[in-house]
Amino acid sequence: MNVADVIRRSRRLKLFIFIGIPMIYLLIFFFIPFLIALLYSLGMFKQVVYQYHFVPEPSLEYYVGLSKYPGIFKAIQRSFYYATLTTIGTLLISYPLAYYIGVKLEERYRDLAVLVVFTPFWINFLLRVYAMRFILHEAGMVNTILRLLGIITEPIRFLGTDVAVIVVMIYSYLIFMVLPLYGVLEKLNVELLEAAYTLGATPFRAFLKITLPLSIPGILAGSLLVFIPAVGEFVIPELVGGPNTTTLGTIIYSFFLRVRGVTGWGIGSAAGLIYIAMILVASYVYMRFVGGEVRLG
Amino acid sequence: MSYAVELINISKYFGDVRAVDNVSLKVRKNEFFSLLGPSGCGKTTTLRIIAGLEEPDKGIVKLDGKDVTYVPTHKRNIGMVFQTLALFPHMNVYENIAFGLRMRRVPESEIRRRVREMLEIVRLTGLEHRRIHQLSGGQRQRVALARALIVQPAVLLLDEPLGALDLKIRQRMMVELKRVQREVGTTFIYVTHDQTEAMVMSDRIAVMKDGVIQQVGAPYEIYMRPRNRFVANFIGEAINMLEGTYIEPGVVETSIGNVRVEGGAEYVGRRVAVAIRPEKILIGEEVSGDVDNVFSGRILMTIFRGAFVEYRVDVAGFEFIVFKPHVGGLARIYQAGDVVKVGWIKEGGILLVD
Repeated sequence: MNVADVIRRSRRLKLFIFIGIPMIYLLIFFFIPFLIALLYSLGMFKQVVYQYHFVPEPSLEYYVGLSKYPGIFKAIQRSFYYATLTTIGTLLISYPLAYYIGVKLEERYRDLAVLVVFTPFWINFLLRVYAMRFILHEAGMVNTILRLLGIITEPIRFLGTDVAVIVVMIYSYLIFMVLPLYGVLEKLNVELLEAAYTLGATPFRAFLKITLPLSIPGILAGSLLVFIPAVGEFVIPELVGGPNTTTLGTIIYSFFLRVRGVTGWGIGSAAGLIYIAMILVASYVYMRFVGGEVRLG
Repeated sequence: MSYAVELINISKYFGDVRAVDNVSLKVRKNEFFSLLGPSGCGKTTTLRIIAGLEEPDKGIVKLDGKDVTYVPTHKRNIGMVFQTLALFPHMNVYENIAFGLRMRRVPESEIRRRVREMLEIVRLTGLEHRRIHQLSGGQRQRVALARALIVQPAVLLLDEPLGALDLKIRQRMMVELKRVQREVGTTFIYVTHDQTEAMVMSDRIAVMKDGVIQQVGAPYEIYMRPRNRFVANFIGEAINMLEGTYIEPGVVETSIGNVRVEGGAEYVGRRVAVAIRPEKILIGEEVSGDVDNVFSGRILMTIFRGAFVEYRVDVAGFEFIVFKPHVGGLARIYQAGDVVKVGWIKEGGILLVD
């Protein structure tokens, strides 16, 4: 009897392998860190030079401290603003692209097309963001082209502005929107559209009544995949933004890695938990709003 | 009088393949018309050309006398039932059926009334709020039919809609389709590879092969008077095909001897075939003096088929297939090895010259 047989025969072992291992993984790498962050933010867990102290009474001092941090509310607002525009931007660019690849393109070319969409993502993320810095720079490609075309005489300053952050975020998150959309559109039964035409629907109305509602699961998945990490984004605002593009992510980042110490970690954890709470609420509202009418069987 | 659908010299190529080859057809108003043929014969492409889902490379499509060759699908007044049914999975029964009326911006109160009427015609009343995945195969069929019919199309196109159903339901749906067609009085064009479906429902059938129409006629016509060997073989369960030469008016020389045939004097000297349906062959005591063709044979095999008995009879090396209803008991059924007379009157033979 080999290992495979043992596993096949034992229901408990099967349960352990398929459910237990992922659960243990989540426990160690998500649930326990989450608990530690919660304890940190409530001032119940303190590390002083390699010594850990458990303080039994929770306090909200770090949350209060966070709320007094200058520009914190503006930064939260900005995080959601960037994430929202990134989600909308990626959706607007990805939908026609995914539609073309998944519906219009001949089936045998589809895999290749998806691979091509993927190619920029073979390059390291930081390199890509730096490349965008050069493209958006005052002496960069965009300004040079605009000047050669005679549209501008003075270079436009992109770096350090909202525009730069949003453009680079849309670029970086595009693939997370394209893939789920491609997934649903590729499965779209073209006969449904033909049926709509035979019933008198113009191609545009057929799109509105058939294609769009049937792609909602993809829109939903893509939006969440983009929106959630986008709210917490801190690398892009750091690299192509400036003092006016501080986000919740950059604040959490600076508390942990610049302020550090008991206070830095405490306030950083508090900010992290606020972030999780806001994401939960936002995602729930969004799913109810967009997905409310959709039940697919 | 204009025809419901008229195809004039339609051709359609997919690469080098001629899917539809110079097809001309006239479908009368309120007719149940079938396009019948093996898979890949171009029947579905022909249907899609009528619907405007494919554009023909050559030829003209007329609906109700008007040239619609380049009119887009949504502006042709047609209905279509797809092979996969193509029901909208995100809508319930009511919304699926109402779709065409909504596209025509019919007022909501009228939509409600007409959907209710349509549900009654296809016998789905009470199921309007069901979702598509909660319906049985036969019910889905009816939804697809109702959805296509509610817009009162000039012609309803059906692409093998019964293919996915099991035999019993299919038989019921055939009768049902015919009933609905009479009730709404619409022209139906029905694509199928199943001759039983075509026979049961159609007023006329067009038999297709390799993109070419082989014969158009009423079911009894294509069964009794097939125009060529393909139609003779394709229609009906089996046929006895005797190859030979037309030697003198009324006589064909075949491998089993001279066979008397009806007419065809103009074919003297040509290679022909005489085809005889299995039920037209008389056997044993049935063969009396006034039967034109009489041969002596030996039963090779007796197959009990339920409603009838199938005999395989050897006549001078040719194996005849004979279908016989059994009117008596078991004792009246011939068994392998029995020597019997077989014969047929000359009108029972079909002369094929292609």
